[in-house]
Amino acid sequence: MAGQTDPHISLFSPQEVEFMAEDELVQIVPNMNMEPLNFISGDFGRFVPQIPIEVPLWLAVALKRRGKCTFRPPGWLSVDNLTQILEAERESQSTFQALPFSYVEIARLLFDHARDDIPDMYMVRSLVEDIRDVRLHKLETNLGSFQGTSAVKISNVSAMEVNLVRPFVRRALEAFYKHDKPEADADRDTRSSRQPREANNEPRRPLRQR
Amino acid sequence: MANYYDIDDILIEEEFVPVLFHKPANGVTIDPSAETNCVEQGAKVELPFWLAHELHLRQAVSVTLPACFDQKTRLEIQADAACVDLRSRCPYFYEFGCKLQPLVTDRTLGILLSTAFKLRYKERLTKVYTAAHITASKFLPLLTKEETNLYEAAHLSMTAFKKWRTGGPRFQRASILGRKRKESY
Amino acid sequence: MASNSDLGSADFETLASTSDVELLKRAWRNEKAAPEILPYEAALIERAKGQIELVEENIEDYVENGIDPLVVSLYQMDLDRTQFLLRSYLRVRLLKIEKFMFHNLKSEEAESRLSEQEKVFAKSCADDLAKHFEESVLLKLPENYQSVLKQSLISEVDDMVPQPHLDTFVVCRSKNFVSLNLYEEGESPETVEMERGDLYFIRYKIVKGAIESGKIDLI
Repeated sequence: MAGQTDPHISLFSPQEVEFMAEDELVQIVPNMNMEPLNFISGDFGRFVPQIPIEVPLWLAVALKRRGKCTFRPPGWLSVDNLTQILEAERESQSTFQALPFSYVEIARLLFDHARDDIPDMYMVRSLVEDIRDVRLHKLETNLGSFQGTSAVKISNVSAMEVNLVRPFVRRALEAFYKHDKPEADADRDTRSSRQPREANNEPRRPLRQR
Repeated sequence: MANYYDIDDILIEEEFVPVLFHKPANGVTIDPSAETNCVEQGAKVELPFWLAHELHLRQAVSVTLPACFDQKTRLEIQADAACVDLRSRCPYFYEFGCKLQPLVTDRTLGILLSTAFKLRYKERLTKVYTAAHITASKFLPLLTKEETNLYEAAHLSMTAFKKWRTGGPRFQRASILGRKRKESY
Repeated sequence: MASNSDLGSADFETLASTSDVELLKRAWRNEKAAPEILPYEAALIERAKGQIELVEENIEDYVENGIDPLVVSLYQMDLDRTQFLLRSYLRVRLLKIEKFMFHNLKSEEAESRLSEQEKVFAKSCADDLAKHFEESVLLKLPENYQSVLKQSLISEVDDMVPQPHLDTFVVCRSKNFVSLNLYEEGESPETVEMERGDLYFIRYKIVKGAIESGKIDLI
């Protein structure tokens, strides 16, 4: 059902993150003619054979699955670029390389539906996996350095990665925040909700038995 | 903030706390060792937190720290916080401690809680995403409720992600949606 | 529609015409990520509903007129996506209303965030729940303790009413440079400065105002 991710665990499911990523524009090369599409989400087309065109990822996948186009993989999804990024990720313990915000989702959709359109697909896929792994370990290490702050900057972390660590980080930050200002909050609570009272004369009632 | 319906909050307030009565109390059977149904001034009794809190506000009792925050525990935490079985001391170690803080005269409680949490967090909880579940299962029984929640949050999130990665149908269209509605929403 | 930079996501709107779907997506995302209910986007929802109905009719026409099934299915997909956003947005709000039933009806400000239909829903939920509590428990308690909102008549605040935790941490991204106070009035005046595009884990209370004015998005 729409909107039913268990809110206690995670705000967004990976599927919902993927859904959001599917609006990213990618380049395809149609192999057929088609009139422009006037969607609620925008206007695309017209489609002419061999003329590259930019469309949202979801549309591109739909067309590809019906054999109506081929993908032009985005520039960042190449062996050279990814190798550079992997090296840079490995070098630094604290900074993340700039990658497209939805790189995890885009990569997975392309690997699943357009592997023949990606040169050296296996190499590329293995590089993306490695990059993801290194970044996840780095995120984990950085989790250990939280203090009782009210704001933590996370530069260049991607959508799926944020979503992955979000439930944990939220709780951890709340716990740190609570522990670092326990007295101030507790005083405010006790003061505002109740004043010290005199014994009152309400009808007595038996206490709970133990 | 009102946690009236929160189950954890209710359970935390059931934990027992030792109190010292400043005034005598009649007509109540809360001291199992007393012969009569009275409590004398100066008597030491263990009461559930919610009751101790109320009585404290009316200045009828003073509250001392329960056993789970005693010297032995503190020493263990100082020695090796990550290995202490906090759950057997009190499953709500941190939350209970936080509630007790404004009621007791011991000013070191807050620091104890905060230090223990930070040490244990760093040692144990920051490895949840990449460590295998097997390694985790060794220290899980030592965690308090709050720490367990943290662990679960990470673990479930990771599981969901892995499931997504292996693919499969994503959204299934509910059959009822196929028909056009006549009336407006 | 969206920006074309390699690293850009569809949210960096520098163009004047942000499509309604983009706005709906933003509203949906903010609503999902925020701990309290946000002001209802009445105009946006009306427009979205209108467009959905229009497309539904069009699709019926296309099918009758024998338009290429491929084209029809693509329009259907676009429609499904928009409908998902709309439905999920409304459902998330309903969940929050149910969760904080009494709280939402307590003040003018809180009530003003709900749509007319949501107000009706909230009121009837609250009435049902109050009636249930009264019949099963409250009327059997001594007079001072019969309220659904306060534990007893001497409570100073409505201590039985669950309220949203505004101190929850959320992830946000700023559209432009923004400087925010980290603490309340009268406490230490530390600020955090967000550049355009920075991602932050931050306490919701701090960014609440900026989200409602559209300067910051929740992720």
